[in-house]
Amino acid sequence: MKPDKFIEVINVTKEFNDGTKALDNCSLTFDNQKVTVIIGPSGSGKSTLLRMLNLLELPTSGDIMFEGNSILKDKVDLRVHRESTGMVFQNFNLFPHLTVLDNINLAQISVKQKTKKEATEISLNLLSQVGLLNKQNNYPSQLSGGEKQRIAIVRALALSPKVMLFDEPTSALDPEMIKEVLAVMKSLAKSGMTMIVVTHEMDFAKKFADHIVVMDKGKIIEEGHPDLIFNNPKHSRTIQFLDSVLNK
Amino acid sequence: MTLLLAVISVVLGTVLGLIPAFLRLSSNKFAKFIGTAYVEIIRGTPLLVQVLLIYSMIKLKVFIFLGIDLSSFIPGMLALLINSSAYVSEVIRGGILSVDKGQREAGLSLGLTQGTIMKKIIMPQAVKNIIPALGNEFVTMIKETSIFMYLGIAELMYSALIIRSDTYAIKETYIVVALLYFLLTYPTSKWMSSIERRLKVSEAR
Repeated sequence: MKPDKFIEVINVTKEFNDGTKALDNCSLTFDNQKVTVIIGPSGSGKSTLLRMLNLLELPTSGDIMFEGNSILKDKVDLRVHRESTGMVFQNFNLFPHLTVLDNINLAQISVKQKTKKEATEISLNLLSQVGLLNKQNNYPSQLSGGEKQRIAIVRALALSPKVMLFDEPTSALDPEMIKEVLAVMKSLAKSGMTMIVVTHEMDFAKKFADHIVVMDKGKIIEEGHPDLIFNNPKHSRTIQFLDSVLNK
Repeated sequence: MTLLLAVISVVLGTVLGLIPAFLRLSSNKFAKFIGTAYVEIIRGTPLLVQVLLIYSMIKLKVFIFLGIDLSSFIPGMLALLINSSAYVSEVIRGGILSVDKGQREAGLSLGLTQGTIMKKIIMPQAVKNIIPALGNEFVTMIKETSIFMYLGIAELMYSALIIRSDTYAIKETYIVVALLYFLLTYPTSKWMSSIERRLKVSEAR
């Protein structure tokens, strides 16, 4: 059991080829079994920061530690790291040519070396938990957005990750579908899963986050307990941002 | 003869076309350069020149097999293959690039290897975009076999040349030749579009 400093981001800067700085000297720590929500205006670097945690983006400088070890050293097997960090995307990114069941089975079989039978058992169990057991043989194109995102969450969970990364999981959904996806995320949070969530869902942030990180223009401008951030924000940009999202 | 040439060149050309396609998609700069150079050079020079060049470089003894003179068939085939591989590689590359990059990211985030992602996720989706364009290439190939008359291979145009000098019916001969080419290409495009339709059905499922 490693209670603290589960993931550590140290002085990370990300500069794109065209010279724009997506992240500017960011340092922060994510705790084990805690839900961290990253908020901020679009273009503030939230998604870049999240995508860096499983190295879909590589930092220009700085270091990222996972359970005390740098994941940027040459000898680190990226695949092993990515296996233990589940990721959920804004656009679901389900594999359209595979059935729901095959979507969830694929990585279990080819990464975790499970047999088809073992994988299917896990998949069906998870599907029933999100109430989509009857969709196992459907193709993604036959599902609603909310169903797709729940399947995407299940697909990541099937590898029993140590942390779940959510990149604006509800931004591409209709309001009534947001609810069903948030419900799954809430029960996941209650089960003690370490979660790092980039979202505009302030209600979720208020009720389920253990820690809020506010970003603007590639910098972390404020972080702390939700009560503190929502009721007593210090930074003027935080006040401005919360004003604009809460009173829309 | 014409059909045989076209079938061989497209089938083997597809296999060969995978190589420059992946070279160009590689992140390795040198591999990318080789792939791009190959495609640009082949596409930038006339097929006729390539055929005659390869024919003059590879000198084989006359060797008749099943009524085909392999000494001119093999170099001719080789030239057509090389030519076809360059065009097909662009079709394949386009097909692969048309798959949303989120698919690759999703694969990576699940810990899949690049190879598995290509084989199980990208290629099955790319094929749907590749097949129609490949059909196009197939029809083009059938027509381009006409170039082999310069090597004395008994394809359609060569036969036409002989008939023309026997009968002096120039116009008539070429009209028949055009018809015969069309008879080969039309069913081919029909066949390709039926494959396309079937692929679309599988997607809508």
